Amino acid sequence: MKTWLPRTYLFLVYALLYLPIAVLVVYSFNDSRTAYRWGGWSLRWYEALFSNHAMVQAMWNSLWLALAAATVSTLIGALTALALQRYRFRGKKALRGMLFVVMMSPEIVLAISLLALFLLIGLQLGFISLLLAHVTFCLPFVVITVAARLNGLDQRLLEAARDLGAGEFTTMRTILVPVMMPALLAGWLLGFTLSLDDVVVSTFVSGPSYEILPLRIYSMVRVGLKPEVNALGSLLLVFSLIMLVISQLILMRSKR
Amino acid sequence: MLLVLLPNLLVIGASFMTRDPSDFLSLPLTLDNYRRLMDPLYLQVFLHSLYMAAVTTVLCLLIGYPFAWALARVDKRWQTLLMFLLIVPFWTNSLVRTYAVKLLLASNGLINSALQSLGITEAPITMLYTEGAVIVGLVYLLLPFMILPLYAVFEDLRRELLLASHDLGAGRLATFFHVVLPLTLPGVIAGVLLVLLPAMGMFYVADVLGGAKNLLVGNVIKNQFLDARDWPFGAAASVLLTLAMAVLLLAHRLSRRRLGEEGET
Amino acid sequence: MKKVALAAMLAAALAGCSKQEEQVLNLYNWSEYMPQTVLDQFTEETGIKVVYTTYDSNEAMYARLKLLDESSQYDLAVPSTYYVNKMRNEGLLAPIDRSKLSGFDNIDSTLVNLDIDPGNQYSVPYLWGTTGIAVNGDAIDPATVTSWADLWKPEYQGRIMMMNDVREVFHVGLRVLGYSANSTNPEEIEAAYSKLAELMPGVRTFNSDAPRMPYLEGETDIGMIWNGEAVMGAEDLPALTYIYPQEGAIVWFDSFVIPKNAKNVEAAHKFIDFMLRPEIAAEISTDIGYATPNLPARELLDEEVKADRAVYPAAEDMVNAEVQEDVGEALLVYEKFWEMLKAGQ
Repeated sequence: MKTWLPRTYLFLVYALLYLPIAVLVVYSFNDSRTAYRWGGWSLRWYEALFSNHAMVQAMWNSLWLALAAATVSTLIGALTALALQRYRFRGKKALRGMLFVVMMSPEIVLAISLLALFLLIGLQLGFISLLLAHVTFCLPFVVITVAARLNGLDQRLLEAARDLGAGEFTTMRTILVPVMMPALLAGWLLGFTLSLDDVVVSTFVSGPSYEILPLRIYSMVRVGLKPEVNALGSLLLVFSLIMLVISQLILMRSKR
Repeated sequence: MLLVLLPNLLVIGASFMTRDPSDFLSLPLTLDNYRRLMDPLYLQVFLHSLYMAAVTTVLCLLIGYPFAWALARVDKRWQTLLMFLLIVPFWTNSLVRTYAVKLLLASNGLINSALQSLGITEAPITMLYTEGAVIVGLVYLLLPFMILPLYAVFEDLRRELLLASHDLGAGRLATFFHVVLPLTLPGVIAGVLLVLLPAMGMFYVADVLGGAKNLLVGNVIKNQFLDARDWPFGAAASVLLTLAMAVLLLAHRLSRRRLGEEGET
Repeated sequence: MKKVALAAMLAAALAGCSKQEEQVLNLYNWSEYMPQTVLDQFTEETGIKVVYTTYDSNEAMYARLKLLDESSQYDLAVPSTYYVNKMRNEGLLAPIDRSKLSGFDNIDSTLVNLDIDPGNQYSVPYLWGTTGIAVNGDAIDPATVTSWADLWKPEYQGRIMMMNDVREVFHVGLRVLGYSANSTNPEEIEAAYSKLAELMPGVRTFNSDAPRMPYLEGETDIGMIWNGEAVMGAEDLPALTYIYPQEGAIVWFDSFVIPKNAKNVEAAHKFIDFMLRPEIAAEISTDIGYATPNLPARELLDEEVKADRAVYPAAEDMVNAEVQEDVGEALLVYEKFWEMLKAGQ
């Protein structure tokens, strides 16, 4: 079968996806303050970035939060999807509907109602409130992704397992988890991305004790794409790419 | 689940209350907020948002479907890497990326400069602050939300199935419509949901790339909550939006069920 | 599983909190609106650590402070003009003790004791500016533009830039018709709406985040801008000119206020006092690019900046200028017409 056509297509889409990012990387070395004028090559924005401790701290906070939120919502989300798929219970429809409502409701509505809720139960605003809020809006994305995968799952596989004497736990471990893996990974990635990117909800439920990156970046960018932000984005990109290459190398070696 | 349920109840409750200049909400329960929404102004806004979101979804599907298919056919060892490669650009703040798109599209931007210096065009082409620019931005931001669920189902699609279909004499088109499409439908639906629903709310893309000239549903609700501080009205708008989407989803599900039944008999 | 994870997080978060015993000032401000060096110097001198948290709109800041009210975690905030007015009227602010501020008299007397906060009982101005007309001199001769009404000239249609803000856009409509920009009369507001509706098809974009950008992008040639943005924009586009319209520019400023339930009122006063020092105010003004209301600080600035009329207007530039005030419930009327403008009706 011909393979060049799909490969070319893949390559093209990747190229388009990375084009704006490439622009960012190039402009992070721009000596001029605005992007519409090229002022020569310079590292000044990287220096500015590293001397900005609050920004670096906010970045770590954000990464931790995204990691935690993606993991927690993947766990809960996968269980929810399984429950929706496998069991019949009262309020199943309501539960599914509710998840859509979260996805539907504009962020600002979710933000204000979550804040009201946290104030009601007397939760101090900080890491916990952020985590809870982020898990809330990541959840539907995970559930939908995992449910799509489970929908395609052959029910007979599970029946066969049961017939062969596998208990609930064994079925879970040997069949469901491997089957769900691509969807879990996809869901986790979506959650991580969403959490890292959220501004509106975070604005409302964060407290002074725990500041995260998007909030800082947001208003910096609004006043006209600050080169410092480009530098940060470039660093994050390079860091992720290096991590990727390393993990790929490890994976390839272990398989060999 | 409590986290999901309670905010929803709060919003629904708020939508029946009266605006209060100093405390956001106050008692007499009323349907006024819903009555105000019946204004043709808001219907127009809703239809326009829906149209933009729908175009975005279709484009994402057209680009994402073959992409996910191609991705699932790549050597297994590379798939995870490629998937991460897909998502890594998205770890840069979406607003930053929206501004990067702006850099490309502006009259003094990169595309126009390139075209002019190559002598292809004389004057800059107007691309920024148009509906087209908004759609480009939305597609760019939401594409992975289409691709990831699609990939999850394609990954499961066994090649033997396609070979079998081929051996049984089915042409490419027939194989696609009778084997591939039905098997990947759950992924398509998931992808459509993940793109369509957020696209309705991404007002900042419309603001940054569309010049804030069009009012989208997301803008109205945000304005009501923050600028006008009319929470009950904003809440009502949000409830109605949710209901409208639910009706659309339900209609889709019903039509699919009917089609499915016809197919089986 | 959920519970265990939560408990673990909670424990981690609590452990993280107990470390902070030193004095802390929680400052709630616009992002990138105060240089880090100034904050560091304050900490060095007083031993008070400044935690700088940000917001991106007055509306978001107001909604949060209002909701948090009782459990307020902020000691100092920096709302813009009429939000001081609004928050004061709603009793969200704590009075400022003038006896603890040695430098209050440094402030330009024309910028204190205004209607938004008579006697400055609750606010101390931080930075200020105006909203006027920007013209790209490469496309339009700046000498031909003198008033807001010039925006309606047919030759500019399609190249106009407006703020993405109800009050600022209606300021233009109201002033062109000769009304006050703080009008609460629904008929006047509607008249302004009709006038603005004529302009709408010619508006290329709305932008209240970085109003200089559409000019730099080459998308617009004439329209509204903040003076600080015009100065910043001229670094990259020297032809960008700032003009004070005859009908009157919009005057706004950002002021320090202390939320009613602030925990560290003492530190907040110390901080405001620190900000009033001429050399600190001058450093901030130079770094941020907006004008300081601090007169001795102005003397410390570069000659070039001091003489720039876009930043420090001459008396005749300000003849019809108007300060934005809270319009109370009339805001709903504005909002309604604003949505109609945007929806193209």
